Amino acid sequence: MIGANGEGKSNLLEAVELLGSLRSHRSGHDRDMVRHGQSRALVRGWCGDGQGHGLGAPGSSLDQLELELRRQGGRLARRNGKALDRQLDLVGPLRCVGFSALDLELVRGEPSQRRQWLDRVVLQLEPVYAELLARYGRLLRQRSQLLRRGVSQGEQQLQSLLDAFDQQMALIGTRLHRRRRRALVRLQPLAAAWQERLSGGRERLELRYQAGSRLEGEEAEAPWREALLEQLRRQRPQERRLGACQVGPHRDEVAMLLGEEPARRFGSAGQQRTLVLALKLAELELVQQLWGEPPLLLLDDVLAELDPRRQELLLEMVGTGHQCLVSATHLASFSATWQGGDSQVVRISRGELVDSPTNR
Amino acid sequence: MHAFADALVGARRQVGQCSRCFHLSAEPLCEICRNEERRNGQLCVVADSRDLLALERTREYRGGYHVLGGLISPMDGIGPELLQIQPLVHRVDQEAMGEVILALPPSVEGDTTSLYLARLLRPFCLVSRIAYGLPVGSELEYADEVTLARALEGRRRME
Ligand SMILES: [Zn+2]
Repeated sequence: MIGANGEGKSNLLEAVELLGSLRSHRSGHDRDMVRHGQSRALVRGWCGDGQGHGLGAPGSSLDQLELELRRQGGRLARRNGKALDRQLDLVGPLRCVGFSALDLELVRGEPSQRRQWLDRVVLQLEPVYAELLARYGRLLRQRSQLLRRGVSQGEQQLQSLLDAFDQQMALIGTRLHRRRRRALVRLQPLAAAWQERLSGGRERLELRYQAGSRLEGEEAEAPWREALLEQLRRQRPQERRLGACQVGPHRDEVAMLLGEEPARRFGSAGQQRTLVLALKLAELELVQQLWGEPPLLLLDDVLAELDPRRQELLLEMVGTGHQCLVSATHLASFSATWQGGDSQVVRISRGELVDSPTNR
Repeated sequence: MHAFADALVGARRQVGQCSRCFHLSAEPLCEICRNEERRNGQLCVVADSRDLLALERTREYRGGYHVLGGLISPMDGIGPELLQIQPLVHRVDQEAMGEVILALPPSVEGDTTSLYLARLLRPFCLVSRIAYGLPVGSELEYADEVTLARALEGRRRME
């Protein structure tokens, strides 16, 4: 998809991402995804397994997926015209892995970016994780409001309310910690193998899960929950001084070490970029292993950011098995291999496909 | 049924509430509170009158109710003092309750309110909580009778 900035390329990829994962890499709020002045937005797509089903001719062999977003919040999901009880039930037929220019900041950016990357992987492994994440986020917001506004009936009431939040946060927080750690354990060997390959065997990558709570020993749920509960209680004076909860998964970090050194501080720009690519390829490989078929790959404005050698490596991994939606401002930024084969180039202007300059 | 509940809730300001349980009522005491047979030592705590009506539709529950008038939500500026919690503690203390059943929605706000109430009420009586076979985020009001009856049946003691 070729088009100038602001013509709607990213919008289209975002729509596909929403149908596949219920999330957007560009915004965490539905209100930002609804056109200005409108109350609702609708994403509709058709997907099939690619086994001889005619694309572009929505027939019975293709699933019709719809997601309706409302400015006020609250979503409605439909499959083949039938409303689903939960939007989560929409996830499944369309698996996708996104890679955007924003991901290039993954290594040197804020810890929250690495948490979001890990969360996207966990979501692929276990869609129900979205509910845990949403619940934990709401607990954090309610808790900080409680501390900010205070209570009318004194210290004891405040402590009782904090107890009520602690119990829930220890439970949900432990579940987040366990799932994130497990996902990272699975990603680690894949990412290390890609880093080794991309660096010509020179670099050894280690991913280390640094929990935002002190969690000892094996990842058994009950002891971790008890530990987190205790730490939540102990940090209260500090929490009130600093205005933010000091322990829990919202303070998790994924340490990325290249030969024992933190890549964030010591890696060169080139090394960091290679590392991002290794992480994304590991994610792609894991999702593929898990579902037994290649996910759709969404490359939003990112290919042009990679030098020809890295573009080639990405293409090698993607091979011919993946359907790949790529956006860029200029055709010239693709290496020749990307333009060959069965690729199709379309131009996008003001949110519409205007023509197909080359169809091979 | 929903239209009826809406009409009831809309009528709140004109007709007022039951002085004991805070359910909507034209009389000082609502029909349920006036019924002696329903003072059986069980008290079911709900967020609002709609949830009470949903539970009544199951025809399973024969005890009394207490309507909180909302849920604790610091984001919305709703603390315990804005809900009918003091009168609840007073009732549980005075009316010699054997069991308080918390029937609040399984949301962050519902759980926070349940945990807070359990701590307050445990010195007086057994506190239990309805079991949810309902998906997270669902609301009592929209649950069907069978699901709600089962949730009531499978309630768990809060420790
Ligand atoms: Zn009453």
